[in-house]
Amino acid sequence: MMLPTRWVKIIKDIWSNPSRSLLVIASIAVGIAAVGMINNAGRIIQRDLYSQYAAGNPARLNIYISGFPKELAKSVAGMREVADAQAVRTLSASLIHSDEKKSDINMNVLADYQDVRINRYNVDEGAAVPGIREILIERISARKLGLKVGDQVIVEIDNQRQYKLTVSGIIHNVYILPMTIFNEAFGYISMETLEWMGEMPYYNRLDIVTAANPGDKDHVLNVGALARDRVIEPAGYQVSGIAIPGIGSSPGDHWAHDQIVGFVLILQIMGVLAVFLSCGIVINTVSALIVQQIKQIGILRSVGAVRSQVAGMYMANVLIFSVLGLIIALPLGLAGATWLSYFAANFLNFDVTIIDLPPSVAFLQIAIGLIMPTCAAAFPILSGTRIPVYNAIYQYGLGTRNKVGWFEKLLSKIRSINPPLTLSLRNTFRKKSRLIFTLVTLTLAGAMFIASFSTRDSLNAQIKQIEHYTVFDASLSIPGGANRSTVLREAMRIPGVTLAEGWSEAVGVFVDASNNESEEFVIVGLPYNSRTIDPVMQQGTWLQGAGLPQIVVNADLVQAKPDIKIGSKVTLKVGDHKRLFEVVGITSKHLYGSRIYMDSDSFTRLTGRQNQVDVVRVIAQPGKPGTPAVQEAIAQQLQERFKNAGLSTAIASTQHNFFKNFTDIFNIILMILMIMAGILAVVGGLGLTGTMSINILERTREIGVLRAVGAANAAVLQVVVVEGLVVSLLSWIFGALASVPVAPALAAVVIYAILETRLNFRYSVEGLFLWLAIVLVIGVFSSLTPAYRAARLRVREVLDYE
Amino acid sequence: MKSNGNNHGNHQLIELKDVTKVYHTPAGDFTALNGVTLSIGSGEFVSIVGKSGSGKTTLINLVTGIDDPTSGEVYVGGTPVHTLKEGEKASWRGSNMGVVFQFFQLLPTLTVLENVMLPMDLSSRFPISEHAERAMALLELVDLADHAHQLPSMLSGGLQQRAAIARALANDPPIIATDEPTGNLDTKSAESVIKLFENLVDQGKTILMVTHDSDLAKRASRLIEIADGKIV
Ligand SMILES: Nc1ncnc2c1ncn2[C@@H]1O[C@H](COP(=O)(O)OP(=O)(O)OP(=O)(O)O)[C@@H](O)[C@H]1O
Ligand SMILES: [Mg+2]
Repeated sequence: MMLPTRWVKIIKDIWSNPSRSLLVIASIAVGIAAVGMINNAGRIIQRDLYSQYAAGNPARLNIYISGFPKELAKSVAGMREVADAQAVRTLSASLIHSDEKKSDINMNVLADYQDVRINRYNVDEGAAVPGIREILIERISARKLGLKVGDQVIVEIDNQRQYKLTVSGIIHNVYILPMTIFNEAFGYISMETLEWMGEMPYYNRLDIVTAANPGDKDHVLNVGALARDRVIEPAGYQVSGIAIPGIGSSPGDHWAHDQIVGFVLILQIMGVLAVFLSCGIVINTVSALIVQQIKQIGILRSVGAVRSQVAGMYMANVLIFSVLGLIIALPLGLAGATWLSYFAANFLNFDVTIIDLPPSVAFLQIAIGLIMPTCAAAFPILSGTRIPVYNAIYQYGLGTRNKVGWFEKLLSKIRSINPPLTLSLRNTFRKKSRLIFTLVTLTLAGAMFIASFSTRDSLNAQIKQIEHYTVFDASLSIPGGANRSTVLREAMRIPGVTLAEGWSEAVGVFVDASNNESEEFVIVGLPYNSRTIDPVMQQGTWLQGAGLPQIVVNADLVQAKPDIKIGSKVTLKVGDHKRLFEVVGITSKHLYGSRIYMDSDSFTRLTGRQNQVDVVRVIAQPGKPGTPAVQEAIAQQLQERFKNAGLSTAIASTQHNFFKNFTDIFNIILMILMIMAGILAVVGGLGLTGTMSINILERTREIGVLRAVGAANAAVLQVVVVEGLVVSLLSWIFGALASVPVAPALAAVVIYAILETRLNFRYSVEGLFLWLAIVLVIGVFSSLTPAYRAARLRVREVLDYE
Repeated sequence: MKSNGNNHGNHQLIELKDVTKVYHTPAGDFTALNGVTLSIGSGEFVSIVGKSGSGKTTLINLVTGIDDPTSGEVYVGGTPVHTLKEGEKASWRGSNMGVVFQFFQLLPTLTVLENVMLPMDLSSRFPISEHAERAMALLELVDLADHAHQLPSMLSGGLQQRAAIARALANDPPIIATDEPTGNLDTKSAESVIKLFENLVDQGKTILMVTHDSDLAKRASRLIEIADGKIV
């Protein structure tokens, strides 16, 4: 076969420098694979998760009701506004493993397992309907606890009564928060089993699907209020809460819908960065190639090649790199998408149906894979082939005789005792476009790195701030509430405890002038002079005195209900009781949601509950929470004492534990950010190495002269390494400047994606200086290899070079 | 771009009219050629001699179009080379002028045969199916057929120079211009290169050769001496 000689040259050039070719092919492949992985995984996750979620008819609304019979569900379902309603009984219990360890379990009872119409589940293994003394376990719980069909489990109710159940089925329920994330197991049992376990056979939650506008939050909440006012309460049942399932999702959306969207956005940013950096490596390498082959270009022109032919050859070269990169990128991207999809499926508890590469994603990859490298390479190729044949043949290098600009004049004024240092400085600025390119890559890496650290610090600062709201050693909830003085007396008997406070909780809504109700918020009643809270006031003041009609809200609430301001007069409604309050203060955010604070006496008046407290908080040294061990000991005694006194069988929690949960989830996110910053640093280093190598290649003769005038190896090394360090330092300064807008932006995006909230930003000075250390190491290492090569050059070789 | 006619009404193959070349350097302007007028007829074997720095390379670069005159006119085969643009000159050179330098001229990744085929590929003067055969014939002409599939780095300087001459002949140009083709060679190799030129002149080519070696220069049919940018 006759291949045109030009093509032979292209192929042999690619082959003759395999490491350079592989660098370009690999960097194109990585960038394009990242695009494929992120877009395809995002598509697969949304396709499978959302379709499986929608297929089981998700509840749009949960109404929490004091015990009711299943007939009530029929009455609510009969409403014109309601498409369907289903009665559920939920019960928190403990599951005891063989090794005496306990896990929380959320036990659910459905009225009719033969006809589940809302939040339908699938059977993975075994039975679909739990028989008497049987339990169906959710598959994630089963996996985490190591349970199989046929296993026996012990369920403990109220921390005392134990019952042995048989696992008769493993089911998959995409609607519940998986145990991997929320550490609570999930199981279905029959009402007969529940009765056998000594519980009353009533239901306590209604799952509702509205007839119209199932995605409209306000409408759905209104339907809930309507059901309460028209059907549930007239029938004599007490509604304790109306809520949309999920973490701030819209009705009918997956419970983590917004977080998934946020996460995919972060990944998209990563993808764009990866492509951008691939571009950088392509530009740098092609520039190096052109510089290296400038004489060959001269020869080509002298034997009759016109510029378009020469440029075409190098473009074809890049195109071959692109095609080879794509050949790797398509399967690599698919492999990445598979990994990411299964990772998400495992995390969010859905099934991946098929892994495929749709034409849209493949087309996107091919388009970017072909266009990106050619566009990136076009600049160095076009400017490299523009050089006149005379220059190419007689002068080694592109535009060696630069015009002397203001910058060079300025540099020439730098007087130094050390001539090699002056040389390094001048060299650094000799090739401005190449310098700018390297700087951009390293600056970007630096800004990202500092931004990742700042995001971490902002999150940590926020977690720290929660300490202000949890100034206790241990707290215990008292389900159903108990008399304040009994609770305090009991708590103060714990050795070492010097302060005990009883807090009360209720849910209520804001009512506006035309009697419209807001969504529900948690109202906390506490002593106005509470010493287990040290609120950080953003605006206004804390509660001023006992029984005053004042409330303080937190910034989370203001974000959810922006019309709340200092001085606003608002009407709160709890059950049938309504009262007018003035908003006197706004505290900082909490991470655990909106709160309305009011004095205990005001709380009593609003709710009509006399001297009842729902939570007790104790501390040994007021204002100074103890060590984790001290807290644990106090929690243990608190729990024992209240159990023995018949006040509460709940598990006490320590202030310390409260923080641990937050940090775990953040760490996953931060790891991804750090990996991202790390990749950027590596690519920045590669870019700098490339740049330094090209620079040395161009200056072979100059180095020869340095050697000829007696420069020792060390001096030649120094000239090169100092140049690398100057670039590193410059990039650090620019990176620091760029991080000023980039860091808050990244922190805001990441934090909003995971927490759905805007936090106070904190700049990481530690990150800034850590990056300085890293970038200096990069500077030394990227210039060391080219420097050694330069130092090894002998005067003769240099002269032969011309 | 190829021109066979003599459209300026003169029958000389190469014609320089009052050509001046000034180099602009940071140290000031330097006149390398000063009002050179010269005609070379078809089939001549011309050697250009002169001291170092006298302007020989400058002169030959103006003829090949590698460099542009500051003033004056350069006609080759009737084509006003001084008016052509950089790209036009490249493709004109591809089929009208074979250029041979002193060193570095073979592409290192291509074999000798492929190097010879390269100008044919760039000009499309011959159908691609003939390229290999033609290149092989040229290598036989310069007695390099045995080395056709070797890389340039495996050949001695003299053999590389012969390969470069074969490549200069690839598109069958009427003129070969060469700057010190023997400058880097031992006497024996230099002798064989000159022999080759003599053969080519016999076949009707016009050869323009810059050299330092007065013995070799005398083998040419005409000798032009330059001193301080002027023909003497
Ligand atoms: N690009 C250039 N810029 C400035 N001056 C130049 C340039 N090229 C050549 N010169 C100067 O022009 C003069 C003639 O140079 P040229 O290369 O033509 O001489 P030459 O006769 O070929 O010399 P040699 O025998 O050393 O090759 C020399 O003094 C040279 O220094
Ligand atoms: Mg010369």
